[in-house]
Amino acid sequence: MIHMSGISKIYSNGSVALSDVSVGIEKGDFVFVVGPSGAGKSTFIKLIFREELPSSGKLTVNGRSVVDLLPAEVPYLRRGLGIVFQDYRLLPNKTVYENVAFAMEVIEAPRREIQKRVNHVLDLVGLRHKIRTYPTQLSGGEQQRVAIARAIVNSPMVVIADEPTGNLDPDTSWEIMKIFERINKVGTTIVMATHDKPVVDAMKKRVIAIEKGCIVRDQDGGAYGYED
Amino acid sequence: MSATRMEGHTAMKIRTWEYFIREAVASLRHNGLMSMASVSTVALSLLILGMFLIMVLNLNNLAVALESQVQISVYLQDNLSDRDMREVGTRITKLPGVTEVTFVTKDEALERFKERLGDQQSLLAALGDTNPLPYSFEVKVDKPERVKQVAQATGQMKGVENAKFGEKVVEQLFTLTKWIRIVGLILIVFLAMAALFIIANTIRITVFARRKEIGIMKYVGATNAFIRWPFLIEGMILGFGGALIAVLLLTKAYGLLAEQVYANLVFLPLIPQYPFLIHMSVLLLVVGTAIGALGSTISLNRFMKV
Repeated sequence: MIHMSGISKIYSNGSVALSDVSVGIEKGDFVFVVGPSGAGKSTFIKLIFREELPSSGKLTVNGRSVVDLLPAEVPYLRRGLGIVFQDYRLLPNKTVYENVAFAMEVIEAPRREIQKRVNHVLDLVGLRHKIRTYPTQLSGGEQQRVAIARAIVNSPMVVIADEPTGNLDPDTSWEIMKIFERINKVGTTIVMATHDKPVVDAMKKRVIAIEKGCIVRDQDGGAYGYED
Repeated sequence: MSATRMEGHTAMKIRTWEYFIREAVASLRHNGLMSMASVSTVALSLLILGMFLIMVLNLNNLAVALESQVQISVYLQDNLSDRDMREVGTRITKLPGVTEVTFVTKDEALERFKERLGDQQSLLAALGDTNPLPYSFEVKVDKPERVKQVAQATGQMKGVENAKFGEKVVEQLFTLTKWIRIVGLILIVFLAMAALFIIANTIRITVFARRKEIGIMKYVGATNAFIRWPFLIEGMILGFGGALIAVLLLTKAYGLLAEQVYANLVFLPLIPQYPFLIHMSVLLLVVGTAIGALGSTISLNRFMKV
C-alpha cells in the first residue's frame, strides 16, 4: 500500500527530518509511528499525502509514485487517503453534517450518495444524533469523531492520523481509538503518529519508532517504548 | 452505461456551478463591509472612467461637428470685374482639398448680416443705401487640417483682399480634446489599476478568511480549479456590481444632461443617448467584470498555493 525506499527529507533550512528510510505498509495494516518530538514523525506522515516532497528516494502509495505526480494529480492521490489532525480542523460555520458532506461535495459526488454516506459514517462514529450541531457546541472528542467521519466518508484505502488524541483526555482517547480499530477491521489501512503511550502499549499493533530521522524499530505487536 | 455516466456527469456539473455561486454569494455576504467597499470603489472608478468617456467622445463629436462647419471666407477686392471674380473662383476650386466654393454677392452678404443682427437691424439704417460689404467666396475643404493651408493660398491670390476662418476656436478645440484624451487615458489607466488592486485585496481577504477551508479542501482532494472558481466568481460579481452602479448613474446623469442641453443649448451637438449609452454600458460592464476576474486571479496566484 505504502512503500518507501531510501527516503530522505532535508528541509531548506538544512535540518534533516528523515534519512534513508525504507519501509512497507500493507493493506489492512494498523501502524503506530512513534518517537521523540522532532524525530521526523510528522514529516513521515506528510510525505504520504504529498504535503511534503522527499529530497531523495522512492515513495509509492497504492502502486503510484507520489514523487512523480503532477500537481494536478495530487488531489486524486488525496481522494484515496483520509487525513485526521490533532486540531480536528472542522469548519466552525458548518454543521456536523455539512462538515462531513463537504469532503464529498468538493470532489463532486452525487447528492444522493452524499446523503447516504454521510449518515452512514456519522452512525459509525456515533454522532448521527448531532448532525445539526455546530462544532463549537461539541466536546473535543466529539469534534475528533466528526473529523474521522470526514476522513473516511470517501472510503479511503488509507487513513493517516497525526496525533489524533493529542488534545484529548485518556477516556476520550480510548473512544477514538476504538473507532480507528473499527475502521481498520473493515480493511482500511491506518497510519498514526502518536505520543499516546497507554494507547500504543495496550493496542499491540505494529510500531515504527523513528529517532533522528531513522527508523530504529519496526515491530509487530510492539509497545510505545519511551518514557514520556 | 456510458449514457448513464454522461447524464450523471452533466447533472453533477450543474450542481457544482450552483455550489460555486452559492459559495461566492455566501462569501460576499460574509465580508459584507469589504464587499461593499470594493463595489463602491469599482463603481467610482468606472463612474469616472465613464464620465471621461462621455466627455472625450462628446468633445470629439463637437470638434468633428465644428471642423465640418469650418469654412474659409475669401473676401475680394472691390474693383474686380465679373471675369476677374470668376477667375479667382476657378483658381480656388483647383486648390487641393477644396470641396465646395460658393459665391456670395454684396447683397447676400448684407442680407446675412441683417439676419445676424436680429432685432438690432435698425443699426443698419445709418448706412443708408450704401453696402460696405465686399463680394466673397465661401470655401469648404475636405479635411480640417487643410483649412489653414487653403486660407493662406487664397489669401495670396491676385484680386483677393483677405481670407479668414475661425482659426483660433478650432485650434483651441483641437488642443483641448487632445489634452483631455491624454489626461483621460492616464486617469482611466490609473483608476482601472486602483479598482484592480482593491478587488485583488478583497479577494485576498476572502482567501485569508477561508484559508482553513481551502486547506481542508486540499486535504480531501478538491482540484485547484474547484477551489478557485468560487473566488473567481466572487471577484467577477464585485466587478460587475460596481460597473452596474456606475452604468445606472451615468445613464441617468446623461439623460438629465441631454434634457438640459436640448432645452437650453440647442446648438451643442450632444451625442444622442441611444445607442451611445448602450454601447458604453456594455463596455463598462465587460470592463468591470474583467477587472474583477483579473483582480481575483492575481490574488489567487499570490496568496493561495493551489
